[in-house]
Order: sequence, then C-alpha cells, then structure tokens
Amino acid sequence: MIEARDVSVAIGGKRIVANVDFDMRPGEVAAIVGPNGSGKTTFLKALSGDLAYSGEVIINGRDLSTLKPVEAATVRAVLPQATTLSFPFTVREIVRLGLVGGRSGVLPGEDERLPERALARVDLDGFAGRFYQELSGGEQQRVQLARVLCQVWAPVLDGKPRYLFLDEPVSSLDIKHQLIIMGIARDFARRGGGVVAILHDLNLTAMYADRIFVMHRGRLAANGSPQDVLSDDLIEKVFDCRLKVGALPPGNMPFVLPQSAA
Amino acid sequence: MADQSIAGAAGTMAKASDGDRSGRARIVILLLCLGLALAVLLSLTSGASDASAISVVHGWLFGAAPGNEALDARDRLIVYDIRLPRVILGVLIGASLAVSGAVMQGLFRNPLADPGLIGVSAGSSLGAVAVIVLGATVLAPFTSALGTLALPLAAFCGGLATTLVLYQVATRHGQTSVATMLLAGIALAALAMALTGILIFMADDRQLRDLTFWQLGSLAGATWQKIGSVGPIIVLALAAMPFLARGLNALALGEATAGHLGIPVQRLKYTAIVGVSAAVGASVAVSGGIGFVGIVVPHLLRLAIGPDNRYLLPASALLGACLLLLADAVARTIVAPAELPIGIVTAIAGAPFFLWILLRKRGVVDL
Repeated sequence: MIEARDVSVAIGGKRIVANVDFDMRPGEVAAIVGPNGSGKTTFLKALSGDLAYSGEVIINGRDLSTLKPVEAATVRAVLPQATTLSFPFTVREIVRLGLVGGRSGVLPGEDERLPERALARVDLDGFAGRFYQELSGGEQQRVQLARVLCQVWAPVLDGKPRYLFLDEPVSSLDIKHQLIIMGIARDFARRGGGVVAILHDLNLTAMYADRIFVMHRGRLAANGSPQDVLSDDLIEKVFDCRLKVGALPPGNMPFVLPQSAA
Repeated sequence: MADQSIAGAAGTMAKASDGDRSGRARIVILLLCLGLALAVLLSLTSGASDASAISVVHGWLFGAAPGNEALDARDRLIVYDIRLPRVILGVLIGASLAVSGAVMQGLFRNPLADPGLIGVSAGSSLGAVAVIVLGATVLAPFTSALGTLALPLAAFCGGLATTLVLYQVATRHGQTSVATMLLAGIALAALAMALTGILIFMADDRQLRDLTFWQLGSLAGATWQKIGSVGPIIVLALAAMPFLARGLNALALGEATAGHLGIPVQRLKYTAIVGVSAAVGASVAVSGGIGFVGIVVPHLLRLAIGPDNRYLLPASALLGACLLLLADAVARTIVAPAELPIGIVTAIAGAPFFLWILLRKRGVVDL
C-alpha cells in the first residue's frame, strides 16, 4: 500500500507539485497522466525519495523519509526516463547492477541467472554481450527495465508487496514492445506487486491501468478508473486540445481519438 | 544431427557468459601481478651503479664471495638503502595515483577526471609547499607537533579542499557537468599555483632548490623514513577503495539511480573524496606532481577488462605500480649518471595519450 498525503515539492523556490494526494493498493497498475510540465516526474521523484517534499508518504506502513537507501531498494525499484553512461558497460553488467543493493527475492544462488531471464522478458534475448552505449534508445530503455526487474524480481517479499515506479517506460518503444512492457507491468501487479507508471498514451493507459491520476499544473485534477476519468470534458481541459472519447465493447474500455489542437 | 547438437550446446555455453568479463579480468589481474614482480626485479637490478640485486640476494643467502666483501657491502648499501625504498615508494605512488584516477572517474562519471588535470594535485602541492616554506616560521607549531606527518597532512588538506570545492561547483542535481568540472579544475589549479608562486617567492635559496626538484616530480629522495610517514596513509586509503567498487558501479547509472539501488550515495561520495585526497596528498607530498598515471592506467584497463570497478580498482593499482616503476627506470637511466624527473617522463608519454582519448571520444560521447 502506498499512501501520499498532501505532497508538495518546490525546486529553487518554485512550486512544481502542490498538495497531491495519492494512494494505491498492491495488485494495481496506477497511471499518472498529464501534459508536459504538469509535475508528473517531479511527483514520482518525491515518491522515490529523490526530492525533498512536504506532506507524508507511507509505503507499506512505513514513512518514506525514515527508510534507509537499502530498505527503500527492497520495497521499490525505479525506472528513470533515460539513462546515459560514460563507461563501456555490457548489457549484462548493467542488468546485474539491479542486484547490487536490494534483494531480488529468488533463492540464493539463482541471482546469477536473473539477468538472462530479465532480458528474455523484455525481449532482449541474446543482447547480454552487447555494449549498452551502442544500443538504440528503445533498446537501452528495455535494458534498464530488465535491471529494474532484477531488483524486485519477486513482486511479494516476506509477505509484503513491492512496487515498480516507471517514468515513461514505453515512450521510446515501438508498438509491439509497448505492449510487452505494459504486459510485464500488468503481470507484476497480478502477482501481488504494485506499479506506478507515468504514461503519455491515453489509449495504452485505458487498456492497462486500474487507476488513473491526472495531473495538471502541479495539482491532481482527477483520479479514478479509466471509465470515470477519461471523459471529453476533463481530457480536453487538461490537455488543451480537442479529443473524442469513445468506448469499445465488451468492457466499455474507453479510447481517445484526437481531433485537433484547440 | 550430432554436429548440430554440439553447435547448439556450444552456443548456449557462449551465451551463458556473454557480456561477462570477470573471468578475463581475473586473468589480467594475475598477469599484472607477474608483471609487477618483474618490474620490481628490474628496478632493483638496474641503475646508475652496477650494483646487482642478484649478487646481494646471493650474498645474503650464501655469504659473501671470498675476497669480495667490500664490494658486497657497497652493493648491499645501494640496494637496501637506495633502490629498495625507491621501488617501494614507486609501487605505492603508482598504485595510489592510478586508483585515485579510477575512483575520481567513477565519482564524476567521466573518464577524463584525473587528480592532476582537475587541480587536486595542485591543491596538494600548495599544502606541501606551505609546509616546506613556512614550516620553520608561521606554521612552526603545526610542523613541530606533527613531525614528518606535517608534509603529507598539509598536502592531504590542500587536495581535500580542492576536491570538495570542485565537486560542489561541478555537480548540480546529482549530475556532474564535465565542462564545468574541467574548467573549474583549471581555475582552482591556477589559483593554487598562484598561491604556491607567492610562497616560492618568499622561499630562501635552500628551500628553492628543494622545491624545484620536488615540483617536477621525482622518486629520487626516497628514504625509509619517507615510506614510514606516507606509506601507512597510502596503504590505508588504498585498502578502503575496494569497498567503494560496487557503489561506484551503481553510480555509473547516475546518483539518483544508485540511490534507488540501495547505495548510500552521500557516504560513498564523501568516502571517495576523502580517500582520493589522502592518497593523492600523500603521493604529492613525497614525489611532487607526477601526472597522467591516473588517467592513462584506468583507461587502458577499461579497454581490456571493462569498467567494473571490482576489477578495475585492483588492476589499476597493479598497472599503475608497474608503469611508474618503468617510468622511473627510464628516468634513472636515460641520462645516466644524471637523472630526469619522473614527472617529465610520465607527461611525455601521458599527454599524447590523453589527446588520443579525446580524439577517439570526439563525436561518440558528449564531453
């Protein structure tokens, strides 16, 4: 369970996130959507413990600000938007860094095989020997996801749920890999973990998210199920453009069709 | 069919170790151990005098050859009191400079960071020169209280101050700007050198002679006493470095990500900064500014075994020690019976190498 109460973040005197309430249960995929500069990444950084915040963040019953780095690393793994390297690491060496601090949750001795399995999950079989710096942006993003998966391989550890924080995990991926990655997130939640993902594609969000948090100018504009949140009015107002929201049978899954900029 | 299954099995075996360079790293480290042993032997046996370490060892094991006692005594003196301390000092300083370079590069997340390039050595020099020039007057209480430790300690403080300022200036939001780092390093080095210049201006003739030779970098003054004063500092700093290796690996992904992986980043950074300042400070205090070891050694090794600091740091220590002994052998013999300051040898070999790295990286990595 993650509960954030009245979280605000200011950077250099400027308020980027203001009074956001957020909560999610294990088993859920929570999506954060919103226009560029609406404070999504900043909020996720506060949730990850990277930025000083006011308010309160409770993860599995413990105050985030009291967690040591290694304790935090055991309950959650974080995928940043993009990671560049200055040294020629191989893909395997990068993925194995996921095992450096926390506990993967597999039996001792099986850790050695995790990088291989994680790479297979993100559809990068046979990439272990390649140099990270020579991969495309989308491939690099999937390598990082494999690293993140190694860190919290078991979605539940010692009876407690663990979380994936993903900042735009699919923004540089082709459509097939977007679906694979969102499938991994869905599966992680199904097995008892929790996922918080910043997404831009509203249709992908509607397909995979249990709950959507809509951010607008640093504040929470709405939160609820895709059916509740994805309405013409709200989406048009927040994103400042003309959109049509429809529904697809059988589950009345919403879809969003852009019309034109307002 | 049989062929296919063999090929298949071989394929899976190759795959299981794809991208894993730890085996190769272990072999390289083993070879470097052998290389260091050879370099030590070479340094002990060569020099301006024809004294031979082998005859000393022979005499030590089997007694002096009859009629040769006087010669043996002379050889023993040269090997024990001149060459051996010099070799030990060379090993300590080579290892310390190379490991410091590797750690700084990990800390700044950039292969171009080097204590000599970014002003840390200049800061250490300032501290050391202050003790040499002002030791008998203004700093007399400091020097008399600390004795032989005063010089390395002052060099350590100078290096530490420079590194801390540099890190504060060049790092924002957990990202180190390399351009800022190099430029700030130039500014800090210039400032430290100007202050050093003032001190040199104040120095008397005897101090001046000491200073000039010391500034060019040399192992010539190696004595057992010097080893006693800086050896423990260097050994301690080097012993702490392997504990940083995993953290530095994670730091390659950025400070925030290292933190997410469970690394106590602040503690790691400060341990690294203090360790590097101590190692560089102690080295500068006895041997002056010996440049480029810290940048050339880790770079060569990354090409061979990759950037994993668990192997890079020990391998750097070994290769740094080897290269410095070889450079010292060149410095001692190339203009024998005079000798060239070793700083000149490492700069002549290292500066073109640095340019070569820049050329190779141009367009590939955003500097």
